[in-house]
Amino acid sequence: MTGRERILAVLAGEKADSLPCMPITMTFAADVLGVKYGDYVRDHRIMAEAQIKTAEMFDFDYVSTISDPTREACDLGASIEWYEDRPPAIDEEHALFLDKAILARMNAFSTIAGGRMEDRVRGIELLRERVGKDLFVEGWVEGPCAESADLRGISRLMIDFSDDPDFVHALFEFTVQRAILFAAAQIEAGADIIGIGDAAASLVGPRIYREFVLPWEKRLVDAIHEKGGRVRLHICGNTRRILGGAASLRCDMVDIDYPVAMDQARSSTGIQQVLTGNLDPVRDVRNGTPETIASALEALQPQARSPWIVAAGCEIVRDTPHENVRAMVEFARTHQPFGIQ
Amino acid sequence: MEQSQELYDAIVSGNAKAAHAATKAALETGADPMALIASTMIPAMDAVGKLFEEEEYFVPELLLAGRAMKSAMELLRPLMAASGEKLAAKIVIGTVKGDLHDIGKNLVASMLEGSGFDVIDLGIDVAPEKFVAAVNELQPQIVCMSALLTVTMPSMKATIEALTAAGVRNNVKVMIGGAPVTRQYANEIGADGYSENANTAVALVRTLLAAA
Repeated sequence: MTGRERILAVLAGEKADSLPCMPITMTFAADVLGVKYGDYVRDHRIMAEAQIKTAEMFDFDYVSTISDPTREACDLGASIEWYEDRPPAIDEEHALFLDKAILARMNAFSTIAGGRMEDRVRGIELLRERVGKDLFVEGWVEGPCAESADLRGISRLMIDFSDDPDFVHALFEFTVQRAILFAAAQIEAGADIIGIGDAAASLVGPRIYREFVLPWEKRLVDAIHEKGGRVRLHICGNTRRILGGAASLRCDMVDIDYPVAMDQARSSTGIQQVLTGNLDPVRDVRNGTPETIASALEALQPQARSPWIVAAGCEIVRDTPHENVRAMVEFARTHQPFGIQ
Repeated sequence: MEQSQELYDAIVSGNAKAAHAATKAALETGADPMALIASTMIPAMDAVGKLFEEEEYFVPELLLAGRAMKSAMELLRPLMAASGEKLAAKIVIGTVKGDLHDIGKNLVASMLEGSGFDVIDLGIDVAPEKFVAAVNELQPQIVCMSALLTVTMPSMKATIEALTAAGVRNNVKVMIGGAPVTRQYANEIGADGYSENANTAVALVRTLLAAA
């Protein structure tokens, strides 16, 4: 099986020759190619080259265009801090929607061409052209909570839930309308799946998640499905109390970060949900050894059961020893999915 | 002094206007600012921390409680300054150089402030020399550093080295936190403590002050 076939089989509930392995790599991939991360995030050709080299070197089943959370905000004119060899960061003190009135003057349907969003779309085209059907190709959009936090400032957004619910819904609607345009362009460019990164959603409890976040995530997930795409939901952090809601979105794949016990995640999301994760990227993967990683994954599989994809809970950090990443892939290649004959 | 139930409820429910009004009412009936902090505000923030630990409260509720507590402190601070009364200990906090993430740092600052400490927030992207200058100028008992990125964690080490080079390392206790930070890393760089979240940060401060 090719990596793409292996992932597609698991997503379809069919038999795969081994567990798929989909660790998120960004700065790690740039280091593998020996390029500065500031160049990686600005030039899709460099990103594609780094992703392909990393996937080949470690035998990953996929390549991804996830890079940093600022592409959408950057194209809207948000203030961004750039670094030579690190991901760009949002300058929240000067957030684009510091003044809430600015939202009403924005056009959600303005073009996504000509900037960093288009660069990701071009990256998907190039990756698809280069990897053909051998590897799964992943696109990425920011989810409503994460993107709103980028545009408004995360602490302000957390207070807005209480102070101005109507503004939050308007802001989430705006971000989702942009995300749908962005996802559609990536699907058209050849993405097999669209990751929705909604990290800030793990900061809220079930009440706010159900009232504000879930309806807009659902709008986005449904739109991606309508356009023929698949969805990977990635919410970093402790999602234990919102996972049941997230499972109701019918995403094709849900990432579980390390603060959530995998058996709890399985109970909350049901027997059919494809789960990805959830080694601790720092404590298990970077600070561990090939032996401790193999043991951790042995312990994880009975909790995750099937359908499961081997990965860390979040990004593989850049100074992770290569033998540790190889140990994750080695485990995946030598283990069959549970319970599918 | 008796607890002001109105102020306690206002802080726990995160209602800043009600907290301000309750504080004003308590002061008008002769409440002592320090007694109000001890009898009402610290127990209220303790309750908020407990609810957070029990996963009944989440980040929005913590921030709202912190804002309510601050609205009460706005009324109390001038009175305390006039009478020369001081809070339990002075704490300098900041997100380290190269890191623009502020929410974890804000939560810790808010919980510490609500727990009766004098918190000076240096903001985000704080260079080692700025931490050193703050220690020299403000003479805090504790320095708290936050980082959300593995790539900015080395700034914590650089800051501790800068404190040492400036000859003030032994004047303060240094504690660190943030998603990628571990107890092991705290030990490696010579920090005095590591906290996993805002609530345990309060307990750690109390432990470090007791040991000082």
